[in-house]
Parts: sequence; structure tokens; C-alpha cells
Amino acid sequence: MQTQAMVEDFFQALTAGILDGSIYGLMCVGLGLIFGVMRVINFAQGEFLMLGMYFTLYIATGLALTALLGPYAGPFAGVALAGLALYAGGYLLHRYLVSRVTGTRAVGAEGEGHYAQLILTLGVALILQNGGLIVFGSTPQSLRTPLSASAWEIGLPFGDSAAVLVNKARAVAFLVSIATTAGLFWFIHRSHLGKALRAAADNPEAAIYMGIDVDRAHRIAFGIGTGVTAVAGGLVATYYPFQPYVGLEFVIIMYAGVVLGGMGSILGAFWGGMTIGLVQQLSALVLPFQLQNVAIFAVFLLVVLVRPQGLYGRSVDRT
Amino acid sequence: MLQVEALSVAYGGLRALNDVSLTVAEGEFVAIVGPNGAGKTTLFKTISGTVAPLKGRIRFGGRDLLAVPPAERARLGIAHVPEGRQVFKSMTVMENLELGAYRPDARAAWRRNRERIFGLFPVLADRQDQLAGTLSGGEQQMLAIGRGLASSPKLLLLDEPSLGLAPTVADLIFESIEQIHRQDKLTTLLVEQRVVEALQSCDSGYVLETGRVVLQGPHDKLLADDRVRKAYLGM
Amino acid sequence: MSGLGARGRITIPLAAIGIFAVAYALASAYVTDQYYQLMLTLVLIWAVMGSSWNLLSGYAGLISFGHAAFFGLGAYTVTLLLTQFDVSPWFGIPAGALVGAVAAMVIGYPTFRLRGHYFALAMLAYPLALLYVFEWLGYQEIALPMKRVDPARYMQFSDNHVYTMLALSLLVAALLISLAVERSRFGMSLLAIKQNEPAAEAAGIDTLRWKMRALVLSGAVAALAGGLYAVVLLVITPQTVFGMLTSAQALVVTLVGGVGTMWGPVIGAAILVPLSETLQARLGNVVPGIQGVVYGVAIILVILLAPEGVFWRIRDRLAARKRPGAREPAPAPMRPIGEVAVSAHAAADRAPILEVSDLSRSFGGLQAVEGVSFAVRRGAILGIIGPNGAGKTTLFNLLNGFLPPDRGRVVCEGRDLIGLKPNQICRLGVGRTFQVVRSFSRMSVLQNVVVGALAAARSDSEAVEMARVALARVGLTDRASATAGTLSNQGLRLMELARAVAARPKLLLLDETLAGLGRQEVEEMIATIRSLAADGTTIVIIEHTMHAMVRLAEELLVLDHGRRLTVGSPAEVTRDPVVIEAYLGRKWVTAGVAG
Repeated sequence: MQTQAMVEDFFQALTAGILDGSIYGLMCVGLGLIFGVMRVINFAQGEFLMLGMYFTLYIATGLALTALLGPYAGPFAGVALAGLALYAGGYLLHRYLVSRVTGTRAVGAEGEGHYAQLILTLGVALILQNGGLIVFGSTPQSLRTPLSASAWEIGLPFGDSAAVLVNKARAVAFLVSIATTAGLFWFIHRSHLGKALRAAADNPEAAIYMGIDVDRAHRIAFGIGTGVTAVAGGLVATYYPFQPYVGLEFVIIMYAGVVLGGMGSILGAFWGGMTIGLVQQLSALVLPFQLQNVAIFAVFLLVVLVRPQGLYGRSVDRT
Repeated sequence: MLQVEALSVAYGGLRALNDVSLTVAEGEFVAIVGPNGAGKTTLFKTISGTVAPLKGRIRFGGRDLLAVPPAERARLGIAHVPEGRQVFKSMTVMENLELGAYRPDARAAWRRNRERIFGLFPVLADRQDQLAGTLSGGEQQMLAIGRGLASSPKLLLLDEPSLGLAPTVADLIFESIEQIHRQDKLTTLLVEQRVVEALQSCDSGYVLETGRVVLQGPHDKLLADDRVRKAYLGM
Repeated sequence: MSGLGARGRITIPLAAIGIFAVAYALASAYVTDQYYQLMLTLVLIWAVMGSSWNLLSGYAGLISFGHAAFFGLGAYTVTLLLTQFDVSPWFGIPAGALVGAVAAMVIGYPTFRLRGHYFALAMLAYPLALLYVFEWLGYQEIALPMKRVDPARYMQFSDNHVYTMLALSLLVAALLISLAVERSRFGMSLLAIKQNEPAAEAAGIDTLRWKMRALVLSGAVAALAGGLYAVVLLVITPQTVFGMLTSAQALVVTLVGGVGTMWGPVIGAAILVPLSETLQARLGNVVPGIQGVVYGVAIILVILLAPEGVFWRIRDRLAARKRPGAREPAPAPMRPIGEVAVSAHAAADRAPILEVSDLSRSFGGLQAVEGVSFAVRRGAILGIIGPNGAGKTTLFNLLNGFLPPDRGRVVCEGRDLIGLKPNQICRLGVGRTFQVVRSFSRMSVLQNVVVGALAAARSDSEAVEMARVALARVGLTDRASATAGTLSNQGLRLMELARAVAARPKLLLLDETLAGLGRQEVEEMIATIRSLAADGTTIVIIEHTMHAMVRLAEELLVLDHGRRLTVGSPAEVTRDPVVIEAYLGRKWVTAGVAG
């Protein structure tokens, strides 16, 4: 009986790991575009996640989307719109602030601009976090849908009535993550604009020679990165309570995932995020839950020290 | 087609080019040679727009080129094959070529150009789906040239295509460049350290040393001039 | 910043610290409102915290987002010692400093292997991890117990002025530490690391050791600040001491005030703490996150407008007003050198000082250097030439210890150099210049050169002396006290040369010293290099400027595609068909080419 409970727990953790992992994967894909491909460090990525959560909440309820489209589709429409809004936000952020400390303007500046990127985006993070506190208040919120509270029960092929519970909201979020990642992957790899973005990130000078407007390409890529992470945030919001400081919880997860997955690869970032999700849930089997994130930090440090090129993805290395 | 007049450029705090003038007529093949540090790459970067000059003018097809923003110069029909190849390493060979065909003229002529490029460089056809970063130096050079050709250019700028390549591979590259020029009478401006190959294929040449033009003339005259050797070796 | 060999004596900054302390003490004596008293104390505590951040990130340039880790450890050490073991903070605070120092060592070893972004991210992770750990341990919120009997023994005073005085003494200590660092080779080494870490290594500075020392010192000071913070506020939670706002505050305060100077954190704290605390008090109910927003805005404004902080902005403005603005003219011509005939050296006493055999190195399939062997005679000037991409700089990096070879040996005066770190190789007497000269533009020429002497000097004053000698050797004595930022290109090259020569190397590796100089300047450089060789220094120089090389070098080593083509005198080499082919291409014949 005890073994069955342990096995059940294991499968439950595994399932949770895959479900959560897919959303982490999506978050990491967003950061992967910015940090992995463009090599821009964005400290405020966690805050875009947080804004994604709040925007989804307010758009879905405020714009009465839930009323219009029903309680199932409403929140997801909110997620989509939040993504668009934060694409615009990221685009503008890059245009007016981030571009001053990246790219050709930064070369020759103190520390080749990396130092300035770190600090500038830290400032943005502080403003967004605390601005969020001011605007949204500190009470934890959540976006409840009828799915949030119900679950499927999937039987396991052994023991009597061994089963795994799959929360419906999380399951839907899982599907949306996969779909979004696939869509983004198709966009980046097959569409004309996507190729131009990759070229501009790969070799800005050569891209100029091709006639690509590199500045604009960087802005768009940055915006997509923030938008995608915001979408992930919106999805998390459907089953996890959030408050304005929630970004900080996820920022190390995101960086760990991107680094683990191998810089420069969108799919790698996704698998990196997925791995982190699994590590988190599986470590919960042995560690107290507050220490889950400590386990993730440990993994992050290990990867960065031992195998900085990551586990997956083909990184054609640029140090 | 291309006229550079009294160009002076400072790059990284140093005077890279000093009062340089040259002309490339339509259909002509001009070579610029000179030792390392002579300013040859800076010249190309100024033409392409990644470096701004202190003084001087550049005219392309009669237009003032310096008034055109860098990303748009490619759309005028200038194809710059950069020093060190600079292929998009994380993208496939085919994607690199497709990116070359960025401007509308080129997209219309894409199929024809692709056939031509593969005809010139069959190895690229074989390795279409390979990542550019995994190609050998010579193959990357072919890719870079192919990428330039994919834009249906009016002017082809080649910056040290033999750099870092083994002599036999460099020979192959030079042959292809000659072939390209012959087949379409494509206006070509070639910068090279390897003097003989460059001067043999070109119509006329310029010798740059520490930022100045020290010698110019038709290629056969230059080939016979010992001052070229002195420019490289100092004595 | 004033460092080793600075103009001005140490009494001036000491007096400044004294005056500041007295003034602050007096001013605070007049304040009676409890709230403002607290603020005065907090300004000082955050100035201390900023000073600790400055030690690592300001002086050494290693941006840390994780100083809250040390702050929190200091706070919890004091608190737990008091609540669990009834140990007074008088002992607890220094104990906290020890904990901070040890934590710094533990963190430092793995984290210093990381660079740039990764370093900052890793540093961010530590306080976050500690936050979770302490929450898990159950220390959600701890209040320091009130001691009714003999409160002074437990650092509890009814008069808030005492806390201000305690904080003031802490700040004075932090300032003295910063001053000591600035004025010693410690600060010099950190600055050199910040400016150009490879060059610092090549100059003999053991970069890892200095970085560790800076981190340990920084951690200890931050823990002191945290400990006092706990005593003053009487309540701590994991969030307040390990949270991101704490790390950010350490950073902002220094960033705004001035990075890399001891007064920076003080200025920044004096500006930002009252501002944010007042806003928090006035508007905190309506606008709960106002503090963070203020810091965020301050960070962005500073990084865009005055990236090094208020202190430097003001100083630069004042300095600019003194100078008319134009760059000072090029240095006076070097002392005249007679024609140093190469053949004057007796061949017999010129044993090889450097022997390289079969040196090879490849990068992922590309053979950058292959089977290169050569010997350099003592006192010779050897030029290394070759077409672009021939492997010259890679060769230097192999000789210097920056790259390990795949195979081969490098022996200098009987010692095998393979496997040694660059700073060790420097100490054995090998100096090197770098192509890109990154100088301390605000410091004097002399101070810049002192960095090169640190490895060889036994004392700081000896280092300054050696620097002066080096400046004399290259002819820059009359510019010794000029600010490095005013030098011309040629002056910068000479300064770089002096820096490499300051440690009196036996062997000097010069990397493209002549690139981009005008004809006259090249002449002067050649003369200088020849005079260095005449003094007995062996010189190996990479150059592209051939017309200069053929006159400067006695022998030329020609590389092509990573292989040695030939060695010989300039006259031989420039007529050698193999060399001509390498540069000009095959079939070049001076008589002309058929077809």
C-alpha cells in the first residue's frame, strides 16, 4: 500500500512537472528570444510575466470578455490580448531604453554595455514591481475559471484505484503553451520576418548588408520575447495566485531554463523550462516545498559552471 | 557606376583612409590591393554604410550614396560580401541564400538566381540544409558569395575572399569570381591581400598603403611593378 | 580616484573624513524628532552597505546583485545569537562580519569562474536562496527582545543619538577601509582588473586572489551593516534583509553617488535615503511601492545620463573648466638615440633567452598555430610577421599563458612556461603590451604605469619608483602627472609600453605597437624600442607596418597559415620567394607575369 502511494505520488509529481514544465517552457521561450538569441540580458522579464497575469485578469474581467465569450474562452482571449499588449510594451521599452545600452551604441561604453543592460533592466524591474504594487495592490489575485477547480482522474495501470489527478485549467494551459510554442517556432523558422529576425540576431553587421533594418528587427524580437512570456504569465494566472512580486520567483527559473536549454535555440529553451518544471515537482517529493526553488538555483549554478552551453539545442557558440 | 572622391575616414580613433579616390565603371572589374592595415576593409564599410566618413563623397549610379541609410544601400543593388565571410552561422545554407534575396527585384529573380548559384557552387546544393556554421572556410566563402549574388546585384563588393583559406581553395574561389564577372559582366570591386590572383583577373587596380592610394593603373602594368612588392614588404 | 602614487597626501582625505564625521555628529545632536533621528542613522547604514558594494562592484567592476545575502546573514547572526544564546550584539555584530566573510569565500570560489551576465545572475540567486531557506527554517519574523536589565550591554539605548553615533563609527571604519584600499596596491589591482582583466593578468596581478579578497572584505562590511540594521530596527524578516530591494539599495546608492570612489555611497545615501523614506512615510499608505519606484527611476536616469554617478560628473566638470579643453600636444621628442648598430652585439654572448619548439594550437578543427619552433637571442629584436590570419596573435597568447597549447614547449631561461598562468609568467620576467590600450583615463600617467610595477615591487613606494624609471625609459617623464585621458594616440602607446616595462622584464612582447601611427610618430617609436633593446631587454614584436619593421627588427620570423615559413634578416626575408608568395600570391615575379 505504501509503495502504491509513493508511486502514485511520483506519477502525480511527474504529471504536474510536465504540465507546469510546459508553461515554464513557454516563459523560457520568450526569454530565450531575448537572452538566448539576442544576448540581451533583461532583468525585467519576470515583471513582464507578472504584467501578463494582471493584464489577463483585467482584460478578461474588465472588458467583460468572460461575459461575452463565456467563462471558458474569456480568460484565454484575455491571455491573447495581454500578450499583444505586452508585445507593444516590450517593443517600446526596447526602442526608447534598451537600445541605448545594446548593440552598436554600447560598444566602447563602460563594460561594453553589458553592465549597463543589467542595471537598466534592473531599474525597469523595480519600477514595474513596485508600480504594480501601487496600481494593483498587494492582495493576491487569481483568475478563476470553472476549469480551475475541477480535474480529470486518469487511472494508472496497476494497484487498485491508483490514479493521477490532472487539473483541467492546468491541462488547458499546457495545450495552449504547446500550441503557442509551436506557432512561434513556425514563425521564427519559416516566415520571412522570422528569418530576418534570426539573421539580425545572429550577425547584425551582415544583416545590414542584406538590407535588413536591424534596429527594427531587434525591437520586434524583444517585443515578441516579452509578449510570449506575458502569455505564459496569463496562463499561469488561470491556476496560480499572484501578486506584484511574483516575477522575482520566476526570473531565476526562466534564466535557469534558457541556460539549461542552450542559448540560441527556441526549442532548447522550451525543453530547458520543461526540465526545470520537472525538477521542481520531483524535488517536492523529497524536499520541503519552500526549498524547491533552492533546488532550481542549485541546478542553475551547476549548469552554468559545468556545462554553460546547455543540455539541448544546437548552440553555435558565441561567447 | 561607383565613384569615390577624396574620402577620409577615421576608425577607432585612427586615420584609416586619407584622401582616397577611385572609380569603377559599369561592367568593370577593379581590384584594390595592399598590405594589412591599409584601410581596404574600412573602404568597403564606408561604402556599405557601417562606417561614416569624415570627408569626401561617394556616388553610386549618379546618386549621393552617403545620403542613403545603410540598410537601404543593399536595396540599391550593392552586394557586400564581407571580410571573414560573416555567414549566418545558426541558419542553414538555404536560409542564408534566401536572406540574400531580400529586395523585391531579387525575390522575383530568385529561382533563376538559385539555379545559377548552385551551378557555380554545387557543394552548396549538396549542403542546402546544413547549418552554415558547420561548413568549412571555403564553403562558407562560396555561401557568402552566393548570398551576394542572390540579391541580383548591380555592384559586387568582395572583401578579402581568400582570407584564411588554403591556397587551393582560394584558387577555386578566384576562378568562380572570374567566372561570375565574365558571365554577366557584373561590376565587381575586389579587395585582396593576395596580389597576383587579384591583379590577374581584374581590369584595373589600386594599391593602398596606410590609408592612401600609392599606385594605380591597368592590371598588367601593376603586375610588372616592383613598387607593389615594396608596399607589402617594406623594402 | 586617487590611488598609489596619487597627487596629494593622505592627510587630505583623512581630514575630510574627520570633518564629515564631526559635522554629522553635531548636526544629528540637534535633531530631536525620533523619526528624523532614525533616518539619520539609516542614511549611514545604507552608506556602509553601499561602501561594501563599492568594494567589489565599484572598484573591481564585478557587478553583484546579491549583497543582500551578506547583509541578511549579518542581521540574522546578531539576531539569532541574541535570541538563542543571549549573546550581546557588541559581540554579535563582529561575529556577523566573520560569517559574512566566510560566506563570501564559499560563494566566491564557484562564482568567480563565471563572467559578466552569469556572475550577476548567480549573485542574484544566493540571497533568494537564503530567503527561502530562512523562511523554511521558520524564521518568519523575529523581534529582538527588549532587555530591561543593563540594556547598554545589549546595545539597547533609549537615546537614539547613540545609534547614530554607532552607525557613524561604522561608516568611518568603512571609509577608512575604502581609503586604505584606494591608496594601496589592493585598489590599484582591482582597478586594473576592472579596466582590462587580461592585461592585469599579463602585468603579473593574480586576479583571482584579489577578486576573492575584495569579495571577502565586501561581504564582511555588508554583514556589519546588516547587523547594525537589526539592532536599530529591532525586527527582521527574511524579505526585508534578503530581499531584492536590499541588494538594489546597495547598488543604487553607490551608482547614483559615484562608483569606485569612497564618497560615492555617502553622497548617494544622503540623497536617496531621505527621499525614499520621506516618500514612503508620506505616501506609503496610498502608494505602497513608492520606494522601489524611486530607486528604479534613479537607476535608469543615472545609467543613461551619468553612468558613473554624481561624484564623477561633478569632478569631470570641474576638471574640464580648469583645462582649456583641447588635447595637450604630443610629447616632446625622445632623447636622441645614436645609431645602434646591430652588429655591435657580440654574437658569442647572445645565448637564447626564449626557445619555442613545436608549438601548436587548433580551434575546433582550424589549425591556428602549427609546429612553430624558433629561438630568440638575448638582447635581440625579433619581428613576427605574416599575412592576415597567419596566427601571430595566437602565438603571443600561447607564449604569454592565455592559451594552453595542444603540444609543444616554451622555455624561457631554462624554465618551462607551459601551464603557468599569465601573472606567473609575468613574474618570471616576460612583459606584454596589448593592441587595445585601456587606460585609467582619470588618473595620471604615472598611476597608470604603477600597475605594471606592482608585481615586481616589494613595497608600494618601490612600485612608484619603478614606474618613474619606466616613464623615463620611454621618454614620458614630463607627462608623468598629466591625466591619461589627455594623451594622444602615440602618448597612450608609450604609456602602455612603460607599463609593460615597469616590472623590468627580460623579455618584452609587443603587440602592434606601431599600428595607426603617422610617419614621424613611427620614427619616434622605433627609436624608443631600440633604446629599450640597447638596455638589454629582448624584444619580440608583432607588426603589420612593414616599412617600419624592416628597419626596426634584426630578424624576422614569417608565419603563414600558422606555420613558420622562414627566419632571416629583413633583407633576406623581403626577397625570399616563399615569403613573397605568401604575401602577394603565387607566381609573383618582379620581372612581370605573362598573361
